[in-house]
Amino acid sequence: MDFRSLFTRKSKSSEIATQRLQLILTQDRFEVGEDSMKKLQFELTEVLAKYFEFTMNSVKMSLKREGNSYVLMADFPFNQSKKNR
Amino acid sequence: MGKVIVITSGKGGVGKTTSTANLGTALAMIGKTVVMVDADVGLRNLDVVMGLESRVVYTSMDVFEKRCELYKALVKDRRVEDLMLLAASQRNRKDDIKPEQMQEVCEKLKQEYDFVLVDSPAGIEQGFRNAAAGADEAIIITTPDLSAIRDADRIIGLLQNQEIQPINLVLNRLSPALVKKGNMISKNDVLDFLNIDLLGVVPEDTGVIASTNRGIPLVHNAGSQGAEAYMRIARRMTGQRVPIPEMREENFFSHVANWFSRNK
Repeated sequence: MDFRSLFTRKSKSSEIATQRLQLILTQDRFEVGEDSMKKLQFELTEVLAKYFEFTMNSVKMSLKREGNSYVLMADFPFNQSKKNR
Repeated sequence: MGKVIVITSGKGGVGKTTSTANLGTALAMIGKTVVMVDADVGLRNLDVVMGLESRVVYTSMDVFEKRCELYKALVKDRRVEDLMLLAASQRNRKDDIKPEQMQEVCEKLKQEYDFVLVDSPAGIEQGFRNAAAGADEAIIITTPDLSAIRDADRIIGLLQNQEIQPINLVLNRLSPALVKKGNMISKNDVLDFLNIDLLGVVPEDTGVIASTNRGIPLVHNAGSQGAEAYMRIARRMTGQRVPIPEMREENFFSHVANWFSRNK
């Protein structure tokens, strides 16, 4: 058992559910497996990493329904452009 | 001319049949003419929830196979005027029916009735395809849990491919107390995920069990939270602008207040 979990509050089950659902729906909508998703995420990050600096695991991707189609949402939080440094 | 609305969910047990029975009854109570079509061939239940099981003589299968005229197969409700049921065959299988047969019957029914509500079976196979075949619009029923929302998402995709429009959402069995405690996905999160228009929210109401036991839809029990919610949804379906209230949490005081209002 993690020692810290004695002191920190357990995260709410609804929060866990929404996080899991986000991932499940994105995979279902893409109709690809987790591996391909990870690969896509990795390759996109590689391209963007040429221009921006960011930490790999801060990247979030999802598909959102908009009317009859889907919009790919990708969040790449970056610190600062490499060029500007 | 009326419209055909398929009531579906993907996942079983989220309240499709209960919702069909209550919305059908509620629409008839506010003066609309309604036919409810049970599309769950082999596992029919709408007749039981409506308390009409002893009155079913013919089924939609008899109509499809021309053993009986359509109007003769319709069962009249015991309590409300202008409310009919077309039962499903219990002896057949879902793939004994072709989508065109369902489409033809729905087409005929909507000439005569304001609303044709089709109670879809669970799943995404033939049974669902048949139920959706004649539909102009769809109502998705979901509960606020992972598997129901996931299946609803899949169904919405399939309906959009068939160009059924609009597709509206009914969020069933929401418990404000559980949402507040952080143990249930909230209404806004569900809407965020599915991103279709919300037609209404039905709170968890234990009265549903007794109402199914008796074969009397919940909407007959005016004043209960579930009944009020279904009545509001029915009014919205007729085009009235009825706001969706934020769900109150049940507490000691609301229980006392309810007790007094019920025992007046």
